[in-house]
Amino acid sequence: MSTDLTTTADQIDEDGLEALIGDRALTRDDHKNAPGFVIRPDEVQSVLFDLRDQAGFDHLSCVTAQQYDDRYESIYHLKTYDDPTREVSVVVPTPVDEPVSQTAEPVFRSADWAERENFDLVGIQYEDHPDMRRILLPETWQGHPLGLDYDQDKPQVVKFAQHANPLEADQHDTESDTMFLNIGPHHPATHGVLHVKAVLDGETVVDVEPDIGYLHRCEEQMCEQGTYRHQIMPYPDRWDYVSAGILNEWAYARAAEDLADLEVPEYAQVIRTMSAELCRIAAHMLALGTFALDVYGDFTAIFQYAFRDREVVQDILEDLTGQRLMFNYFRLGGVVWDLPEPREEFFEKTRDFLDELPAKVAEYDDLLTGNEIFQLRCVGTGILEPEVAKQYGCTGPTARGSGIDVDLRRDDPYGYYEHLEWDVITEDGCDNYSRVLVRMQEVEQSAKIIEQCIDLLEEWPEDEREIQSNVPRTLKPPADTETYKAVEAAKGELGIYIRADGTDKPGRFKIRSPCFHNLSALPEMVEGEYIPDLIASLGSLDIVLGEVDR
Amino acid sequence: MSTLEAAVLQADGDTYLLPERIADLTGLGEFGMGGELLAAFIAAFIVGNLMLAMTGVAGPWAKRKITAAFTDRIAVNRVGPFGLLIIVADAVRLLAKENIIPEDVDRPAYDLAPIVVAGSAMLGFAVIPMGSGVQLADPEVGLVYVFAVSGIASVGLVMAGYASSNKYSLLGGLRAVAQNIAYEIPLVVTGMSVVVFAGTLQLSEIVAIQAEPLIELGGFAIPAWYAFVNPFAFVLFLAANFAEIGRNPFDTPEAPTEIVAGYQTEYSSVYFVLIYLGEFLHIFLGGAIIATIFLGGPAGPGPAELGIVWFLVKIWAVFLLTQWLRSALPRVRIDQLIEIGWKGMLVLSFANLVLTAILVGVIVA
Repeated sequence: MSTDLTTTADQIDEDGLEALIGDRALTRDDHKNAPGFVIRPDEVQSVLFDLRDQAGFDHLSCVTAQQYDDRYESIYHLKTYDDPTREVSVVVPTPVDEPVSQTAEPVFRSADWAERENFDLVGIQYEDHPDMRRILLPETWQGHPLGLDYDQDKPQVVKFAQHANPLEADQHDTESDTMFLNIGPHHPATHGVLHVKAVLDGETVVDVEPDIGYLHRCEEQMCEQGTYRHQIMPYPDRWDYVSAGILNEWAYARAAEDLADLEVPEYAQVIRTMSAELCRIAAHMLALGTFALDVYGDFTAIFQYAFRDREVVQDILEDLTGQRLMFNYFRLGGVVWDLPEPREEFFEKTRDFLDELPAKVAEYDDLLTGNEIFQLRCVGTGILEPEVAKQYGCTGPTARGSGIDVDLRRDDPYGYYEHLEWDVITEDGCDNYSRVLVRMQEVEQSAKIIEQCIDLLEEWPEDEREIQSNVPRTLKPPADTETYKAVEAAKGELGIYIRADGTDKPGRFKIRSPCFHNLSALPEMVEGEYIPDLIASLGSLDIVLGEVDR
Repeated sequence: MSTLEAAVLQADGDTYLLPERIADLTGLGEFGMGGELLAAFIAAFIVGNLMLAMTGVAGPWAKRKITAAFTDRIAVNRVGPFGLLIIVADAVRLLAKENIIPEDVDRPAYDLAPIVVAGSAMLGFAVIPMGSGVQLADPEVGLVYVFAVSGIASVGLVMAGYASSNKYSLLGGLRAVAQNIAYEIPLVVTGMSVVVFAGTLQLSEIVAIQAEPLIELGGFAIPAWYAFVNPFAFVLFLAANFAEIGRNPFDTPEAPTEIVAGYQTEYSSVYFVLIYLGEFLHIFLGGAIIATIFLGGPAGPGPAELGIVWFLVKIWAVFLLTQWLRSALPRVRIDQLIEIGWKGMLVLSFANLVLTAILVGVIVA
């Protein structure tokens, strides 16, 4: 223990970190984005505690796991909420014959689900983990699909008796006054196929446990089987599939461009920024509409209005990309094509949308946020304290609704954001209402960004419109280059970890889903509240199961 | 001067009821008790089918069209003119569906519930004076009777919720009871304030009293509808009524996003149709009560024969209002709903009753 370390938390540099970890660091394993320290599996907690309490790394962004020929490896990607560019990776190798590592759950609650996923997919055991079960795959699954010895062709034969009886827990427990209720996977308000196991005392929620994995589509593995240059880009569109596609594409683009040291021309950056913000508006409109649906309880005017306005954005995106949902518009080093001709028409259409937006936002204010019953329902319900939010690794509008001033577009600039005028929105209410307000104001900020981008694009000299840099046909980043890069997607920090293995396909492709971590905080928000608040809180998190389950 | 005209005129002044009129017109009255009974059945058949036809139009067609208008859509427009034939298509579709009865349901409660829900609302229409001489019966305790039979629906909802063997149904059933108890009292108490004004429970009398002019404004008489006499009671009654029939913002017993569909979760096919029908009948019954005791019943400009038209217009106006609220208002939470009921509505309705009593006492004195 380097207890004599006196440097203040936010002053610690790489040498300071080295000193802090001291001889617990077996060796260094630096990643492209951050210094990496290799430590012993039984010192995970002590190192992470020190990094959190003494070096200020309060955000466990992602926990990656992978298997090499000679070892398993867990990587804890740490960041700080104040400055996401301050990063450090803690690498924990474990032997192949006994992949047991100490859990990080006591340090960061977000490690709970993350380590369960690693156990599920890769097969690393985490000692002292409170709930070491599978999370994405069924309990009866045999083998760990991302492990090297996994036989994909072996059929999963599970006897009927082995299946957990979903009704068993349903029987009335005569000892208690509570009622067990399965909310979902088929339920009108679970935003996809989410299963929430709830224990109720009358109308009050005593305990909830989100059960995910119904929409698991092996996205990580599919990305590992595609080539960097072209075959991976279509997949991100399918993670957060409610029109946030371009934001997801950017996550992959940013990680891969960092890995292969690719430059993106400025003109392409402006187009990227504009299209990403259009996507954000579409995604937030949908979030607004579905949240109204959850609280209002019917397909009311708000839901339809939100869809009407989202439709306009979709039309613009269709003009730009040729697609309405699965855009596949980004390419490594730029975008696939320039703005549609005639450009004036595109600009005019987009400007018309931006001109009409303030009136529409005012309409939402009248109908939604200004409504007394709505406020009665949303103010002070689904409380997520900032400290709790940080523990669970919440990001995006969910974190900003809890007053955490974090936005990767500003704090870890990419694209063209740093040259534009816009604000990060935060609200201090920590409740469902704040999260809605944040999204609504972010729509306005996105509009502001788009407007500036359009101005720039209009003025851009015709001979300097370079949409892609010169990228080799086959990308083969050097073996063992590793990076973790994140962007601010509609739901929060969408991060991608890629390890190159010297071929034209990634050795390991890990997706850090913001919805996954935001959802894990649900029990903290709803326990002790009423069922309607559970539904409203779930809606206010704005999860997309495609991204939660991947 | 035909007998029909005479009958209509007579009906306006006095209570010349539909069964009697049918008995007179068809000559069934001459066959004694049996004939009168048959006439009564025919009359009930006519009124019942009128109401069913209205729900038929409201459920599959009007509700869609109205909601669509509120939410920027078009709704049904392919089947028949204005999509009207969707009523037929939907009727066939719903009746042709398999009636799935889950294994563990508690029969016959499960089977009876839809009938109780739909039936209780139908019973209420028996004493409503609809104008143009359409009224089946006119007991002296008419208003109490209406409240009593429409309250039976709660029993049906509990039966549905409890017998379905589904936790969502159970929650919905419990919510329905809690809500109906909390709002039935303000509803009845507010209704009583009208009785204090009118001095009678007989619905035809209440309607007749409202026909008198309240004030003359430049040759135009504003009738003494109780909505004008006591707007506060009117608003209270309207709100309590929405809670009673479980419409937005008080639709917690169904609460589609929370407890799936509440007490009707497990119902399908004909049973579902009956429950759905019952809900619409209850909306219309609520509208009928409001029209009768607050909006002058069948009163309106034009000849008295148009009474039923005005009456239906008023009912549909209430229906339109429910749909408007549905498109615009969020649902209150169940605890807030109960709080509003017991702490707000109940106090206000009693205050209203006491004030009305004092006011009437002073005027009479």
